[in-house]
Amino acid sequence: MTQPAPASGPPQPLPPPVPMPMRLSPKVLLIDPVRMLPSLLLPLVGVLFVGGFSPRSFLWAAIGIGGTIIFAVVRWATFTYQIVGDRLELKRSLISRSVRTIPLERIRGVDVTTPPMHRLLGLAVLKLDTGASGGAEQEGELDGLEVAEGERLKAVLLRRAHVPVHEDQPHARPQPDNVIIRVPRAWLLYGPLSGAYLLTPFALAGGAIGLAFQWGGELGFRDEAWDLGQSLLDHPIFIAAAVLMLVILMPFVGGVMYAVFHWDFTLTRRDGYLVAERGLINRRSVSLEARRVRGYEIADGLAERWAGVARAWAIVTGLGDSETRGQLLPDVPRKVAESVTSAAIGPYTAGLRPHPPIARNRRLFRAIAPNLALAALFTPAAVSWSPVWWVLAGVAMAAAVAGIPLGLDRYRSLGHGYDGVRLAVRSGSLRRSQAVVERRAVVGWRVTQTWFQRRAGVMTLTAGVGAGEGGYSAIDVSEAQATDFPTEVTPDWILPFRR
Amino acid sequence: MGPLRDPAHRLSPKARRLWALESVIGFVLLVGGAILVGHWVGGSGWSWVPGWMAEYEWLLPVLVAVAAGPFLAAEPFVRYTVHRWELSGDVVYARSGFLTREWVFVPVSRIQTVDKAQGWLERLLGLATLEIRTASHAGSSTIKGLDYQVAAGLAEQLAHRAEQLRDDAT
Repeated sequence: MTQPAPASGPPQPLPPPVPMPMRLSPKVLLIDPVRMLPSLLLPLVGVLFVGGFSPRSFLWAAIGIGGTIIFAVVRWATFTYQIVGDRLELKRSLISRSVRTIPLERIRGVDVTTPPMHRLLGLAVLKLDTGASGGAEQEGELDGLEVAEGERLKAVLLRRAHVPVHEDQPHARPQPDNVIIRVPRAWLLYGPLSGAYLLTPFALAGGAIGLAFQWGGELGFRDEAWDLGQSLLDHPIFIAAAVLMLVILMPFVGGVMYAVFHWDFTLTRRDGYLVAERGLINRRSVSLEARRVRGYEIADGLAERWAGVARAWAIVTGLGDSETRGQLLPDVPRKVAESVTSAAIGPYTAGLRPHPPIARNRRLFRAIAPNLALAALFTPAAVSWSPVWWVLAGVAMAAAVAGIPLGLDRYRSLGHGYDGVRLAVRSGSLRRSQAVVERRAVVGWRVTQTWFQRRAGVMTLTAGVGAGEGGYSAIDVSEAQATDFPTEVTPDWILPFRR
Repeated sequence: MGPLRDPAHRLSPKARRLWALESVIGFVLLVGGAILVGHWVGGSGWSWVPGWMAEYEWLLPVLVAVAAGPFLAAEPFVRYTVHRWELSGDVVYARSGFLTREWVFVPVSRIQTVDKAQGWLERLLGLATLEIRTASHAGSSTIKGLDYQVAAGLAEQLAHRAEQLRDDAT
């Protein structure tokens, strides 16, 4: 449902409006053909080979390249954008005319990214987040603006998009940039603890092997590649060594990837937006509209808790791809994560209440029993078939033993609380996460109880929130807690139904 | 659930017939599937299939019928006692579930859309399903097996009231 934007708030100084349709920077023409090159290369080489490198084949290849360039030029020349009244119009009139109209009030955020080639040429890509559910197709993209024009357009779009000013959010009126945190480079060393990008070495190796076989044929060393593969298979020790190498490389490569993506992470408050900038090669800037932020999530895995660091995400209404876009902080010391989220969004001042002890038994059972059952299944197989099954039985048994600390830790993680403004729920062990959400963001409550939970006298209480994951659950609370907590947060909604 | 009272209204008594029909359909599909699988595995002649399993290929469907039958037979009656709803104090309070119970509280001020829908079985019986949606799936509710007139009236009332109360904080 849409509501017309109320014309409240003080009049804001607007940058001069753009009087005429604008084109992307012509420099983007240097990027487009290069970007098309990989898909063009094979046909071109093919034409040259088939034509036996005759002058005619060169002519055809030249025509192909020329056609590509002409296509890029025509595409550039026929694409315009323009702010008309309260809408942004993107016009494309290459073959069929199409106009995409984006109402400015619908624009919830503007991401500016500068991929490497764009950066060389001083260009940027502007992505408009309109909260549309139809995927990337529905959202607007301006690929190839001058950086200055990008910044100007972003300012215009965000200023215009942003109308109401709430009393309770004083930062919603224009004010100078306010850097909340600039993450020191030394903290990039925490990266490998996050577990992100750890599989990169395997992905790279897999990609290289795939490429070797795919291109091997074209370049004439396919047989050699096959022979190499064959000889490797004959000596499994090499494969084991290679895998071991990749495993050892995991934290290093993962750490480098992490550093590349999170280089100079900066969180800034600017005109009622939270702006997160990061990245070494591809510098990315995400603007989150502050009045749509409903809370935050602080997550830390096992290794991160051991080192005392945590990551943070914003919980924002209508934000697609919130896992990457909503990130507020990379791995930083936990104290810093707490103070930054407090400063940027709001503090959570109460503690967390533990869940009943029966929840511990349930966590333990769920962490241990499946592995124990597997071990029990593998043992007769080992006795009657082959001793190889002992290995599997041993692995399952080890997992069952590891389930004891895991289950205990999962229980320790469980908790929920309310400080009068925000409520918090926490769960998880391998990835523990605590969500803190404003009371006014709660749109309903859901309590579920499985048959097993009914026997244990516990329930799962979920606060429905129209942002982030849509709901945040307190797992295995007692029956009393399951009604007392919603009553405490939103008494009007629950009291009529209490005995 | 201890401190909460039951929601005031039951569904239409015809809802029992709806669930019974669904149970019968489910039973037929399950047993039919089991017959097919039993016949397929029994007649396959695979080496790992023990002799007795190939011989008694009717065993699987019988087991499935014995295991699923009581559940499917009890489901309509259990659901009819569990499923209840109420609208008071501008909050929709609904309870549902069979093996897993569910209680939902949806304040009318946060409702975005109210739909009523009818599957072909529901149409046959003059029943309807009310779908109350908020910005969050966890804060949304689906009440199945309402009398069509009741569902239509409730949808009308909720939509009207939601319009008056609408609160765009989400």
